[in-house]
Amino acid sequence: MVTRRDLGKIGLAAGFAGTFTRPAWAESAADIAVKAAQQYKGQTITIVWEAGLQSLDPLNFSGPKWKELTGIDVKVVEAPIAEMFTKIMQDFKSGAGAYDALNVVPAWMPDLVNAGALEVLDPFVDKYGFRDELQKIAPTYRDNQMMVNGKIYGFPDDGDVFVMYYRTDVLGDPALQAAFKAKLGYDLPVPPTTWKEFDEVGAFITEFTGGKTYGAGFFRESGYANFTFQERFRNEGGKFFDGETMKATINTDAGVKVFTDWLAENKFAPPGVEQWGFVENLAAFLQGQTAMTVSWPPYGRWAAGYGTDQEVMSWVPKSTIAGKVGYAMPPGGHPELAAGFCLSVSSTSKNKEAAYLFIQWLNSEAVSLERVKLPYALRDPFRDSHFTDPGYAALWPEAKDYLAALQAGANNGLLDLSLLQTDKYEEVLRQSVSKLWAGEDPKAILDTAAGEWDAITEKIGVDKQKAIYADWASKSGAYPKM
Amino acid sequence: MTVAAATALRANPDRNFRYWLLTPAIFLLLLVGLFPLFYSLVVSFMRIDMMDTDTSFAGLYNYANMFKDKRLWAALGHTLLITVIALPIELLLGLAMAYLFLEKLPGRQIFISLLVLPTIISPIVAGATWRLLFDNRYGPINQVLGWFAGHPVTALWTINPHLVYPAIIFCEIWQWTPFMFLILLAALSNVDKSQTEAAAIDGAGFFRTFRRIVLPAIWPVMAIAILIRGLDLARIFDIIWALTSGGPGTMTETISVYTYAQGFKQFETSYTAAIAFLVIVILTIVVTWAIRRMGLAK
Amino acid sequence: MSSLPFHRRKNVRLTLRYFLACMLVLIFVFPVYWLFIISFKTPDEIFAFPPVWYPKSIQFSNYMVLFKDGDAETVLNSLILATASTFIAMILGTIAAYSLVRFKTGGENLAVWIISQRMMPPVAIVFPVFLLYVFFGWVDTFFGLILLYTAFNLPYVIWMMRGYIEDIPLELEESALVDGCSRWAVLWKVVMPMARSGLFATAVFTFVFAWNEFLFALVLTRTEVTTYTVQVTHYFGGQSNFWAKIAAMSVLGTIPVFFAVATMQRYLVRGISMGAVKG
Repeated sequence: MVTRRDLGKIGLAAGFAGTFTRPAWAESAADIAVKAAQQYKGQTITIVWEAGLQSLDPLNFSGPKWKELTGIDVKVVEAPIAEMFTKIMQDFKSGAGAYDALNVVPAWMPDLVNAGALEVLDPFVDKYGFRDELQKIAPTYRDNQMMVNGKIYGFPDDGDVFVMYYRTDVLGDPALQAAFKAKLGYDLPVPPTTWKEFDEVGAFITEFTGGKTYGAGFFRESGYANFTFQERFRNEGGKFFDGETMKATINTDAGVKVFTDWLAENKFAPPGVEQWGFVENLAAFLQGQTAMTVSWPPYGRWAAGYGTDQEVMSWVPKSTIAGKVGYAMPPGGHPELAAGFCLSVSSTSKNKEAAYLFIQWLNSEAVSLERVKLPYALRDPFRDSHFTDPGYAALWPEAKDYLAALQAGANNGLLDLSLLQTDKYEEVLRQSVSKLWAGEDPKAILDTAAGEWDAITEKIGVDKQKAIYADWASKSGAYPKM
Repeated sequence: MTVAAATALRANPDRNFRYWLLTPAIFLLLLVGLFPLFYSLVVSFMRIDMMDTDTSFAGLYNYANMFKDKRLWAALGHTLLITVIALPIELLLGLAMAYLFLEKLPGRQIFISLLVLPTIISPIVAGATWRLLFDNRYGPINQVLGWFAGHPVTALWTINPHLVYPAIIFCEIWQWTPFMFLILLAALSNVDKSQTEAAAIDGAGFFRTFRRIVLPAIWPVMAIAILIRGLDLARIFDIIWALTSGGPGTMTETISVYTYAQGFKQFETSYTAAIAFLVIVILTIVVTWAIRRMGLAK
Repeated sequence: MSSLPFHRRKNVRLTLRYFLACMLVLIFVFPVYWLFIISFKTPDEIFAFPPVWYPKSIQFSNYMVLFKDGDAETVLNSLILATASTFIAMILGTIAAYSLVRFKTGGENLAVWIISQRMMPPVAIVFPVFLLYVFFGWVDTFFGLILLYTAFNLPYVIWMMRGYIEDIPLELEESALVDGCSRWAVLWKVVMPMARSGLFATAVFTFVFAWNEFLFALVLTRTEVTTYTVQVTHYFGGQSNFWAKIAAMSVLGTIPVFFAVATMQRYLVRGISMGAVKG
């Protein structure tokens, strides 16, 4: 039986093979990092990583490989995603300095930078010649998730973006298409490109199949709906704040429309969809219960069956739809770069340089390509070279289209709202979503939410927050041209 | 008691005996508990949060904010509601179960071990399991309800405002009644059988015997169990976090859920410290009153 | 009912009790059963619609994985932590309780102060405790957590044993003293055995509280002393849910306590009449 450890060895071998295929004259950032790290041989660096599937990367692949190349031990501190921020902040505030390198969700960066917990990386980037390879990260990640106030604090390391997945066999069914045209008067779009189309197609599918296949499924549970709200709200033209007064504007018509449309969509989704999280939605889609959904990249890989025969992926329900899945931008054309991860260095680390070299190596063109191709990887492609890699495109028949969709998303993506005390604002959004499912009126909910946002802003300091918001809003992924 | 025996008990030679018994425990409690208490007190008079480490004295700033904080008082109310409903049910059910297993029964050992399982399961896992059980699509509860109703039932236990409290309270009772059960079983089994048998022979009914003989005998243990369970209910967290995260909105937010968000994730250090003190003050008053009322201080 | 002969009444009672016992077990154990069978289910069975009540086949691969990957080690960690802290807390706490009950040391104020340790919302004190531990270098050590759990459980042990000790008639101790026993001997040879059922009931939950503790284990450990509760939460991800591992781990985590309770039950229920003592 193949175990986690065996996988690591396979990955290691594959990785080694990959490193020898570059032209010999170009000294890559990975090589520079390895060379410079030799002076730290025998030391240990500690990195904080999300527990579970994510951490298999450093535990089985990158950690052992780095040790092999440089003699530096990598100690992986796993933490559940919900507690990562707390652990990092607590370690910083207590001065314990136990962590060297960090995984940081971009939305946390303003808070961490403001508290002083992250090390500025520019000096290191220049010293070790990483600027070139940093440029080659896909635009939306590069321009939005790397810097705070013009300084580099983290390397985007995960192409978390929302993709629309649809069943090509369902939407492509001639009988369905004919009936659709007859009823609604236009050709069934495969796939839908606006939410209006999406809703009409979805409702029709549920009706046509008599509930055997539902038009769509979503993760409506409040923690996840926070992301989908941010995406859809902005696609509808909404803005979070008035840039001048810093008053919250989530209760405009755009916001209300999102909430009202959601309620309408739930009607053609499986009953109880309001409770669904990532895994419930995944199960329904893979088992063929739903025809469309919007989610992160792993759905696409797992629907195709890539990697799901691995031991560690045995928790994923068997895909009954391999080869029948199409990939596209979510309706509206601007997907949320939901969550994501950056690699950073802790400002209280006692081994800053060694930590930096490790993350440069991890994030480099060569190594990151290996990492996103790992069958058990949760790191999604995020560099231009990843999207065009022939090896990746060969992984399953539709992989080329998959990569194209991811790349389109990387060019048009929306950055998560990142301010000071982002969690407080997100908490209000989460609670608003749960109130919506409880049956309260959308406008009333959003009015209350806007009021709560204003109270939070006031407590933090309007001017302070305004500056951070201006920095965020100036990024290309904040309010792209629609 | 003879005079000799009485004096023997209160004799001086081991005057420090009673202090020696207490010292190690008190030492440990102080070691781990003193600093956090002191820290919280000091910090509650400052304005430390995630961004500022402003250690200047801010007076009653946090305490004043507390009184204006509607969400805090709502949380206290929710906590009280859950405690007041769950505690009596757990007590009575636990007592009934203890009586059921007091006398011999074939396989009693197995029964008791099985019944303690809910308490042994990690509360976090229990919460996640209940979440799955309550799931509309993948959980058996709605499936069973559907069998009784004759048609598929859609009940969103973790979202519907009318269903969240019943769900939470049911899970809480499910998990902690075995606690009461086991403790009361131990207490009941210590009750002097000769007395209860004598009462039975004299023709006293069950309730009479209970009130006059059993209850006074188990009261010390029962009162303390009520106290402990009550205090734990005031700090209820895991089941609510797993099922609703305090939702919908903040409807099921208890004081622990509220301080978790404020203190643990948003680093409102000073404010959380002030809330902690408020909670301690409230609970101390309640406990002191309860001790007097329940006659635990004799 | 009173018209039935005595032994018939007894049988009806027994049957009724048996029936009730089975009903109770059904309700209390069903969720645990559901969790346990998840450890044998395939993901399609876990997320089957309609829900599936028993797995198609029983295979132990999920358990083997836990052992191979070293996750099962965390169960051992928790076992060490919980056993050590229970043992120490029971001893220190019971003797302290004896002092409080028999000698009224510190009066009511001390007793209330002791229980007030249990009033603090854990979230509020987790950071200062972390600071304290950083200062002493106790973070991520067995010693640190054992110390913490012992301190956390002391108030519980002290208060519960107060109640059970009060149950013990004073005359027993007095006659032992008169017989020439030292104070310590009275404590160990007379009081402890009499409080056996109370000791057992208290020890079970002291163990369970330490066993299931999560928040402090999360904050105060990094890599060396991962407890089973923290390990289980690693299986809940934003983009993954290792239900099979969650379930298998929970089974592994429950077995030690279950067996402890099952085998030590005879201490719980004392069927012997105390008539011998009274006489």
